[in-house]
Amino acid sequence: MKHWLETYSIIDFISVGILLTAVTLNAFKSIESYVKAYTINSWLLAGLIAVVGVLVNESHLYMAAVLTVLTKGVLIPIIIWRIIRRMRVAHEVTPYISNTLSLAISGILVAVVYASLQGGIFVTGFSRDALQISIAVILISLFIMITRKKALTMVMGLLFMENGLFLAGFSLTFGMPTIIELGVLFDMLMGVIILGIFAVQIKRVFASADLDKLTVLKG
Amino acid sequence: MEYLQLFIIILFSPLVNGVIKKVKANMQGRTGPGVLQPYYDLLRLLRKDMVISRVTSWIFSVTPYVVFASVTAAALFVPVLTTRTAFGVKGDVIALIYVFALGRFFLALAGLDAGTAFGGEGSSREMTVAILVEPMMMLALFTAAITAGSTNIASISGAHRALSSPSHLLALSALVIAIIAETGRVPVDNPDTHLELTMIHEGMILEYSGRYLALMEWAHYIKQMILFTVVVDIFVPVGIAQTAGFSGMTVPAVSYAVKMTVLAVLMAAVESTRAKVRFFQLPSILGGAFVLAFLALVTHIMMGK
Repeated sequence: MKHWLETYSIIDFISVGILLTAVTLNAFKSIESYVKAYTINSWLLAGLIAVVGVLVNESHLYMAAVLTVLTKGVLIPIIIWRIIRRMRVAHEVTPYISNTLSLAISGILVAVVYASLQGGIFVTGFSRDALQISIAVILISLFIMITRKKALTMVMGLLFMENGLFLAGFSLTFGMPTIIELGVLFDMLMGVIILGIFAVQIKRVFASADLDKLTVLKG
Repeated sequence: MEYLQLFIIILFSPLVNGVIKKVKANMQGRTGPGVLQPYYDLLRLLRKDMVISRVTSWIFSVTPYVVFASVTAAALFVPVLTTRTAFGVKGDVIALIYVFALGRFFLALAGLDAGTAFGGEGSSREMTVAILVEPMMMLALFTAAITAGSTNIASISGAHRALSSPSHLLALSALVIAIIAETGRVPVDNPDTHLELTMIHEGMILEYSGRYLALMEWAHYIKQMILFTVVVDIFVPVGIAQTAGFSGMTVPAVSYAVKMTVLAVLMAAVESTRAKVRFFQLPSILGGAFVLAFLALVTHIMMGK
């Protein structure tokens, strides 16, 4: 098993998959595809943790993988599906710039990350490639957050960013202690619930979840 | 053996198209024509008389031959059963792309030549798509070329094992999208009809009939088969022979047939499950594929594998 994982460089394939799900966000038009991409991203992340767990023989990594699947792969997508249904939102994502341009910019972002992280901060951990990819994912999701208008899209950007941060931390440290991971996941869950309620309220008060309309105070 | 590969491509290319059509029909719940139907169509067209518009110039009548000759020349570049090709060291991916470009150039000219609105429309669209597809194909092929240290298709195919790294997977997906665009398949163009205002390839060859139309169609099948062959040569070169002799050709022949069938079924599946997009949305899809190819190259350079 271990030998097989190393020969076929499964880690590389999974981390490139994680990068790909983040890049495809730029091309999607509906919020549903965002949620699907996030689900795939989370499952890949959990898979990566499990694979590294097999490679370094650490049993607490299996637990982290299972926790990741349960919260990010199952619970958070279900909550977001419910929010989407409750808001009855229009399905478009409404970016400020065209899909092609935003794809091109995220491509450039990845190249910049790869070029600037060639040497330097990578000291410990299992894979420099995973670190580069995680930082690229963080930047792409930040880019998604600043170029999309709808509140829910920003929540998705935030979730992707958290996945990227998790991967960055994981690739440098072989995973934090389980209690900290538990805390982070719980925070995430609460964050999604609160942001979801927020988005629903914005929609109710302004009759739109478009954040451009939040420039006027209402008393 | 080197030259036999040329005839394999020329003779079997209508069959590949027939298989795609058959699988597609079955997926859509129809019986569909038999897999040999493209041969019957070609034979019928070859026997028919030609109707040529009086306003056309010599370009119109020379184009079918140029297009057919360009794809035949391209067929000499690609390894089918063995990595020994007829053009040997000159069989280069960049040359391959530009030999196709020669054919495309004349095709677009002929579309304009007859002076119909549909022909001009088809030509202008074909060129727009080509601008987007060509650099994408190059980037994708370069990713594989860097691994092999050569842009020669035969040495790429002989040098590395199948899909050994994530960057190759990215390049493969970009190349498959490029091929869908190049062969005029569904998300980009509709190969089944020339009754739409959205046609691209069919628009350009609308004025052709009889023998010329047969040559054009056949050239299109050959081009499609060459592109499929390039994909399997570069990304899944399992079972391809390294020698030029006739002995031991069973394994390459069987594996090649299997790989072609898989690709044909894949294309049929893509065509059956996707809807054709509006022309002005094409840059979005092809731009996405271009980013895939770009990521493949960058990942390959930075990760070193």
